[in-house]
Amino acid sequence: MPYDDPEPDDPHILVGVSLPGDETVTREMAAAFADEFAQMGFDRDRLLRLFANPFYTGAHAARQLLGDAEITRIVVESLRAYGGRAYVVLDADTEGDEPEAPAARRGKRALRVL
Amino acid sequence: MPSVKNWQLGREMAYPYDARYPDRQFAFVFNINRCIACQSCTMACKSTWTFSKGQEHMWWANVETKPYGGYPRFWDMKILEKLEEANPEGQTWSGGLSEERGKPYGTFDGQTIFEAAQRTLTPDSARVLGYLPTDEEWNSPNIYEDNPVGQKGVRNKLSETGEQLPVHNTWFFYLARICNHCSYPACLAACPRKALYKRPEDGIVLLDQEECRGYRKCVEACPYKKTMYRGNTRTSEKCIACYPRVEGKDPESGGDPMETRCMAACIGQMRMQGLVKLAEDGTWAKDRQNPLYYLVHVAKVALPLYPQFGTQPNGYYIPPRWVPRPYLRQMFGPGVDRAIERYTDPDRELLAVLQLFRRSNKIIFRYEMKEGPKVYEGTLHGKPVTLYNDTVIAYGKTGKELFRTTVEEPVHVRPAIHANSI
Repeated sequence: MPYDDPEPDDPHILVGVSLPGDETVTREMAAAFADEFAQMGFDRDRLLRLFANPFYTGAHAARQLLGDAEITRIVVESLRAYGGRAYVVLDADTEGDEPEAPAARRGKRALRVL
Repeated sequence: MPSVKNWQLGREMAYPYDARYPDRQFAFVFNINRCIACQSCTMACKSTWTFSKGQEHMWWANVETKPYGGYPRFWDMKILEKLEEANPEGQTWSGGLSEERGKPYGTFDGQTIFEAAQRTLTPDSARVLGYLPTDEEWNSPNIYEDNPVGQKGVRNKLSETGEQLPVHNTWFFYLARICNHCSYPACLAACPRKALYKRPEDGIVLLDQEECRGYRKCVEACPYKKTMYRGNTRTSEKCIACYPRVEGKDPESGGDPMETRCMAACIGQMRMQGLVKLAEDGTWAKDRQNPLYYLVHVAKVALPLYPQFGTQPNGYYIPPRWVPRPYLRQMFGPGVDRAIERYTDPDRELLAVLQLFRRSNKIIFRYEMKEGPKVYEGTLHGKPVTLYNDTVIAYGKTGKELFRTTVEEPVHVRPAIHANSI
């Protein structure tokens, strides 16, 4: 972890260089994250938690710029297409263990508890 | 200087040695859209190969935040600057994209690091345009990237709320890198001792420690800065592509070729490595059902890193969708727009092939698809999309099935109470 900001006169630090991150770029980034994680099996709650996590800086910055409503819209849109995976809970031998929100999926698959 | 064919540049180019090609070539595809910079790959490599005294600064595999970061710092900015100085305003492409295997990105009209060296350096002193990074540039990977600045005077403590941490108010992405095991390695070209060589069986570039005298010409020449000097042995070292695994000698492999440690450790499922067949002229031989061939030459979603350097790197990247195109075109060449368009709106086969990433640690030599039912028809990001739950089957070197998976493969989870138990 660096403890100081970069020296402003360091010629190689990107000081004063314009690399704009406008709303379009940010929206595309948020959509990319939502699509990729939806394909990896993240459900709505996990995806929204990812955008709320300040240590996941890209997603968090997108949420700060676009707002909760827009992020939720993007997540729901991605899940509509890519959110069709079923969850299979392994080793479910404890009472009260509920699988992660299968109802939020497209509902095409029945849950199997092994 | 002999002339060799560089298909990534769509033309012949100068290289200090005559062209010689292996039977198969070590190659990999990284999907940048999926990388979260968890550094699992970095640590897998570190804990396997570079944990000894004298190797503290070595990260054969690393992940850096672009556009801020680099390991060593500024590696790409510095070599791009040198090429621009050698050939001002001339580093351009022409001819447009094509579906042709020998010229998929058009023709590069500028100068490679070998050609620029002929014009700007004294031939006897150097064969490759490069530079030697300073100790300071090697010693702090990831400094000033997307990690927070700590409180002044307070060491080893993170902010408890997190939201207060400073963030970069612009776009960025994570670039995972290892040695590209180039077809025309700059390290090999530069070594006066001929200590570097490319293996005829798999194209892995190795550095013979017996022959090396630590002149650091390879460190200076490699444009990706993936050869590193070790002070206590006074020799240079580099990524060895985990060759015992690739050879199938890892006890876990049962004799089958396995992917490298950094690939196997990837929890983001963004890495796939293989061994592609080469034609006599060094282009990829047609191998339609090889997943790497499909991603690079059929779907054309995976692109080489800085092809204009001229080393014909064998690492390919699916570029990040959200990053401004001029930056990506500089980094991955003119194929960027086509790659992103196809990746953002994947067809049936591409979606199935993307499921092959990290389902097995064994190298996939061939895949087959079995069509499944239609599972979604609607729009995604304003475009019509139809998804099918196809099955994709992966085969190993001997033709034995490694695994099969579906586009909507069920996710297996442990209940929360056992989440971290083994």
